[in-house]
Amino acid sequence: MGNTKRYWSGLEELKETNDYKTTLENEFPEEQTVDAFLADEKLKDVNTGRRDFLKFMGFSITAATLAACETPVVKSIPYVNKPEEITPGVANYYASTYYDGNDYANVLIKTREGRPIFIKPNRAAGATGELNPRINSSVLGLYDAARVQGPSKKGAAIDWATADAEIMKALEQAQNPVILSNTIVSPSKQRAIDAFKAKYNAGHVQYDSISYSSLREAHKSLMGKAIIPSYHFDKAKVLVSIAADFQGSWLQSNVFGADFAKTRVPEGKWMSKHFQFESNLSLSGSNADVRTMIKPSQEGKVAAAIYSALTGGGATSIEGVNNKAIQSAASALKAAAGESIVIAGSNDVNVQRIVAEINKTLNNYGKTINTDNPLNLFQGNDTTFAGLVDGMKNGAVDFLIIDGVNPSYSYVDGAAFDAGLAKVKTSVATSLYADETASKATYITPDHHALESWNDLALTDKKVDLVQPTISPLFNSRAAGESFLKWTGIETDYYTYLRQTYNPAYTAANMYSDAAWNEAVQNGFMSTGVQVVVDTTEDSVESIEEMMPTGGLTLSAALSSVKAVKGGQMELAIYQKVGMGDGSQAGNPWLHELPDPVTKVCWDNYVTMARVDMEAMGLEMEVTQNVHPNVVNVTVNGKVVSLPAFMQPGQTPGTIGIALGYGRGANGENIGKAAFQTKENGSHMTTEDGSLIPIGENAAPLASMKSGAIVYAAYEVNVEATEATYALAATQMHHTYMGRESVVKETTFGAFKAEAGKKKGEASWNKAHALAVHEDINGDGVINAQDKKQIKEIDLWKEHPVENVGHRWGMTIDLTACTGCGSCVTACHIENNVPVVGKDEVLRHRDMHWMRIDRFYSSDWSLEKGEEEGVGTIESYGRMEHPSDAPQTVHMPMMCQHCNHAPCETVCPVAATTHSNEGLNQMTYNRCIGTRYCANNCPYKVRRFNWFNYQGYKKFQNTNPSQDSLARMVLNPDVTVRARGVMEKCSMCVQRIQGGKLEAKVAGTPVQDGAIQTACAEACSLGAITFGDLNDTKSLVQTISQNNRAYHALEEVGVQPNIYYMAKVRNSEENEA
Amino acid sequence: MQKEAAIREPLILGDKSYKDITDDVVGPIEGAAPKAWKLLITITSIIAIYGVGCITYLIATGIGVWGLNKTVGWAWDITNFVWWVGIGHAGTLISAVLLLFRQKWRMAINRSAEAMTIFAVIMAAVFPGIHMGRIWVSYWVLPLPNQFGSLWVNFNSPLLWDVFAISTYFSVSLVFWYIGLVPDFATIRDRMVKPLPKKIYSLLSFGWSGRAKNWTRFEEVSLVLAGIATPLVFSVHSIVSMDFATSVIPGWHTTIFPPYFVSGAVFSGFAMVLTLLLIMRKTMNLENYIHVRHVEYMNIVIIVTGSIVGVAYLTELFISWYSGVEYESYAFINRFSGPYSWAYWIMMTCNVITPQLFWVRKIRRNLIATFVLSIIVNIGMWFERYVIIVTSIHRDYDPSSWGEFHATFIDLGIFIGTIGIFGTLFLLFARFFPVLALNELKSILKSSGENYKKLHHKDH
Repeated sequence: MGNTKRYWSGLEELKETNDYKTTLENEFPEEQTVDAFLADEKLKDVNTGRRDFLKFMGFSITAATLAACETPVVKSIPYVNKPEEITPGVANYYASTYYDGNDYANVLIKTREGRPIFIKPNRAAGATGELNPRINSSVLGLYDAARVQGPSKKGAAIDWATADAEIMKALEQAQNPVILSNTIVSPSKQRAIDAFKAKYNAGHVQYDSISYSSLREAHKSLMGKAIIPSYHFDKAKVLVSIAADFQGSWLQSNVFGADFAKTRVPEGKWMSKHFQFESNLSLSGSNADVRTMIKPSQEGKVAAAIYSALTGGGATSIEGVNNKAIQSAASALKAAAGESIVIAGSNDVNVQRIVAEINKTLNNYGKTINTDNPLNLFQGNDTTFAGLVDGMKNGAVDFLIIDGVNPSYSYVDGAAFDAGLAKVKTSVATSLYADETASKATYITPDHHALESWNDLALTDKKVDLVQPTISPLFNSRAAGESFLKWTGIETDYYTYLRQTYNPAYTAANMYSDAAWNEAVQNGFMSTGVQVVVDTTEDSVESIEEMMPTGGLTLSAALSSVKAVKGGQMELAIYQKVGMGDGSQAGNPWLHELPDPVTKVCWDNYVTMARVDMEAMGLEMEVTQNVHPNVVNVTVNGKVVSLPAFMQPGQTPGTIGIALGYGRGANGENIGKAAFQTKENGSHMTTEDGSLIPIGENAAPLASMKSGAIVYAAYEVNVEATEATYALAATQMHHTYMGRESVVKETTFGAFKAEAGKKKGEASWNKAHALAVHEDINGDGVINAQDKKQIKEIDLWKEHPVENVGHRWGMTIDLTACTGCGSCVTACHIENNVPVVGKDEVLRHRDMHWMRIDRFYSSDWSLEKGEEEGVGTIESYGRMEHPSDAPQTVHMPMMCQHCNHAPCETVCPVAATTHSNEGLNQMTYNRCIGTRYCANNCPYKVRRFNWFNYQGYKKFQNTNPSQDSLARMVLNPDVTVRARGVMEKCSMCVQRIQGGKLEAKVAGTPVQDGAIQTACAEACSLGAITFGDLNDTKSLVQTISQNNRAYHALEEVGVQPNIYYMAKVRNSEENEA
Repeated sequence: MQKEAAIREPLILGDKSYKDITDDVVGPIEGAAPKAWKLLITITSIIAIYGVGCITYLIATGIGVWGLNKTVGWAWDITNFVWWVGIGHAGTLISAVLLLFRQKWRMAINRSAEAMTIFAVIMAAVFPGIHMGRIWVSYWVLPLPNQFGSLWVNFNSPLLWDVFAISTYFSVSLVFWYIGLVPDFATIRDRMVKPLPKKIYSLLSFGWSGRAKNWTRFEEVSLVLAGIATPLVFSVHSIVSMDFATSVIPGWHTTIFPPYFVSGAVFSGFAMVLTLLLIMRKTMNLENYIHVRHVEYMNIVIIVTGSIVGVAYLTELFISWYSGVEYESYAFINRFSGPYSWAYWIMMTCNVITPQLFWVRKIRRNLIATFVLSIIVNIGMWFERYVIIVTSIHRDYDPSSWGEFHATFIDLGIFIGTIGIFGTLFLLFARFFPVLALNELKSILKSSGENYKKLHHKDH
């Protein structure tokens, strides 16, 4: 049956008519050929009408036009073989270590699609992972097109083989080859250098851009070992710092700051007390409990006075100094013997000798100061280096390798080094840039950037940290260690050599099979106590010992030496800025744009001066958009620098301060576009002969040599006013908080303790705001001023439930812990693609930082004082604008407060800024039309407007990394780069929140407290910023927000922020100091 | 027919007939352009082109070409906006409110005052547009269905209220002005001999035939529009003032703003009308129609509104102290003693002190003094807005962000440019449009014309 069943499509098919058959056969009719078509007689009768012609023509033209419009080609090359670990859109993190000869930290490198884009601290147990702005900003240096892109000889590119052959030939002939490097803390590199030394009988001199040689020498005199001990600031109940900016730049400031922050918890068992004696207002000085102004020449005298007071030698009085502070510091130290630290920033061996003696007297060695595990950092010795310069000058050195240092710029007598370098027959620089020194060398054989290289680093002899590459070398560079091997004739690559340091039997075959190594790479460091199998560090330490002078400096000699120091009328203290440090990253626009934590000035260095001195000289003291400070000529030993004078509250009268790290590229060396001054239109400023003008001036030549060491001060300085003015761009123009205690709440430790048990909102130092209302609140039957309602309960709006509904992201910021270091500012800048706008725009008050740190000085005046003394309100307000000459300082991080009743949200006509149901005030860039009402209506002024197209406008060509095809690789692909004309502001790193939520979703668990971190909270090594879910009752942020120090800034405006501040507690009494 | 007391000063001077009025108003349109007009329009056009150039540069480059910054997000842009909107108010007040109150003296001035309103509102509308970071998406402020699905405008935002207020105001004013022009266009049409202008004017006059039916409807429509426009006189500037009053910024957040802004607007509007009319009556020989009586009436309006403004300034100061709010009181102390106190004292002098001179009859009837004072008032009113906007936000809550504002050449260029555009438009109006409501004037000739008054007087 089934076989016979037939389906048909129509009756024609069923009946199989003839017509159907023909149709079936002609289903695919044969195509008529063109010739046949044209030959068809009928064609002549066909005519194309005018209209048809126009239609055809119209179509053809349109088609041709459309075809001509080509969309720009974006080359997106897919992986041929996708690396297993890379998923587009998902970041990978690699543990590594940062070391640049100055800063040292264990870090995690975030990479996206193979590009390293972010450096964050590695806080794994055992890591030393605290950051500062210089470290997290260093990622931009990788993408700097100004880096040397391959080996060169006298500026002309050559290939590696030629370079190696020529260098080795020169080495064969060299009589006295020397390696000049920064402090080598890498065991493998040291091994390579030792092999090189052995082969060529070469010398090795280590040089630090910032010298700490006296610290080692003092310890040699004290205990026979030329060491820099490890300091444990977290154990110090009393800290006395004599001009050491341990939170900003001194030694291991990133670690010291973090450790010391642990002692600054008012709720803890004890709170440390910090005395600072200094002339410039340093970052540490601004955070000190008691700060005393001294002159640089008095540093030794202060140390001696403290020593004298401690040892019962009686009070010695120093002229012009608050001697009471010295006595109270000494008695505090005495009470905390064995639990205190005394440090000095001076590189004068006499001062360090006395300070070492004080610590010994206090029994601090072995307790807060560890001599058993000394730091390997800063092994350079000024005397040795001076010897090398002499040797070069008299022709004794005929071959010099310069590795990782730039003495032409950073040495006190750079000219002498240059003169010496000119006499060296062959010189080779492994620098990343053709900088001041490298550009004068015969050969440049560029090293890898740290993010491109393998290395091992030993901060101390007990722990080895690893550096691992996160990207293939961008340029034709080669690890400096490998170059040493090559020139020694060892044909091993540096990675293998590195592995062999720990396993001599290592071959490429067992590259991945060493579990311990794999773990070390994953962690970024080898477990504590690892033994360097092929040890060399022992030798290097010995060699330092040899280099040291006899080390026989006795205490009495030191004491009498400091006593003999004569101060001048005007003295100079040279310091490092948190952003620029020693100047090695002078081409980094992120660091230039980071406001100095104390002065809030970006993009320049300047002479800090005391008000009284400036008044005496008739100098302009204001720095605003159109009031520019005067340029002064500072003369030290015949050397002159001309810089603008900046009025610095807290500067000791009779002293000035100048920051190092500026004036880079004075001869137009190619060290990056952002290192040079730009005009208002964005192009570089040039001198008449067309050379670029560096930013600021180099202060290094102003330093003095004292008993063979470089002392970053000068005691005889001449400051001379000039007619010229120079604009300084500061992000903050107003310096006091005008008695507005609802912005900043601060108290003393004593006052805090007296009311420590009180509930939130009740203590006198953090009273909740209440407003008198026309209701009988207290129920006494009368409506009067006593009827007050809590701000929280007064509201124009219907309450939208936020508590206990889903997530509510929030943050607490502890003003007691915050030192203002700025790590959060740069971290935020990098994470969120915040545009760099350059000096002229900052000057116009248009910096774009989402996260800023407000710095407030105390004023000597207040409305209360005005009332007492019968001074009118208007006059009082005028006086309150002026900071005290010896101010107390508050650093207050400020970003979008994510108000629950945000004033910005109601005024936007297009609802471009709205509230998320997770408590975030969110900005929809695509919807924003740029009316700026939201910014006007923000009580915290945290909104930032895109005044220009920062990614394309010519004004930013030399400053904004996103205008550089290479540097823009650093942009975070998770964050939109904002268009011109839209508003932007802190998003609380919403991309991270979303990422964290997704991860939790995949894992099937609720978001764990601490799993999501904003860039600022993550970068803060002081624990000042805590981020989390306020609706999570167990979260840390929720706990802290209930603390009785927590308050909302400007609470009475009633905007109900999701950011809580914690009142600042100083461990000092009123008017102490 | 209406009668007017003989002792009242006549509104139309001289021995004018109906034809004389027509000749006086239409004559200049028919004749060749006078040299002075050509010179003036050349100057204003050059300024206008410069302004347009500055605006183009602004839109092409970014708002950063202005002097604004992270603290001061509005300055000259919104100052100019409020200033121009305020100026516009006089026209509406004259045409609508005075119509309802049957103030006949308005007939000589309402046409040009309304024209001034239209042009001033156009100039005002420029600023909210160009002050936007992304003017190319400015249509998003309109509640249009859009490609973003249900994304709607934010009805809480005073800027949105502004959009409605200004657009309503502009359309009502335009219609009102045009309706009034129709019979006058017809008069021109009827006299015109050149074919092209005749055709244009006949199109513009909408086929007006002058029948009684036309006149009845004209009167009715005028009355209805006056009824609609009258609330606008008060609402528009009240809403503009809410741009500030609904914010949280001390110095902006002030409930006194709506009445204060409205009287300020009328104040500045009348000053601008005076400035323009005093020039126009001279150059166009309209001394018989716009004369000292009109000027005196307007000066009286100025002194009343100016005094209201003065009281408002003092009230603000008092309340800032009385409130006991630290931020509020500082905002006002800073206004008169801070870095921008010069602007405050310019404002005080120009708006409160000098207009008081009009209490003196001789001064308020002196045309030159009036001209000078009218300009001073407009300078003062510009500074009033500048003071409110800039001095309030340059130092608000958080002292760390306190800053300054410094205008750039582009700020200046655009402001001057709008004056140029405004001047050009007004000159074109004076050249091609009947500058007086001639048909309305004719209705009062017999009751308020000088000669007729004398005749009446003799009759009795």
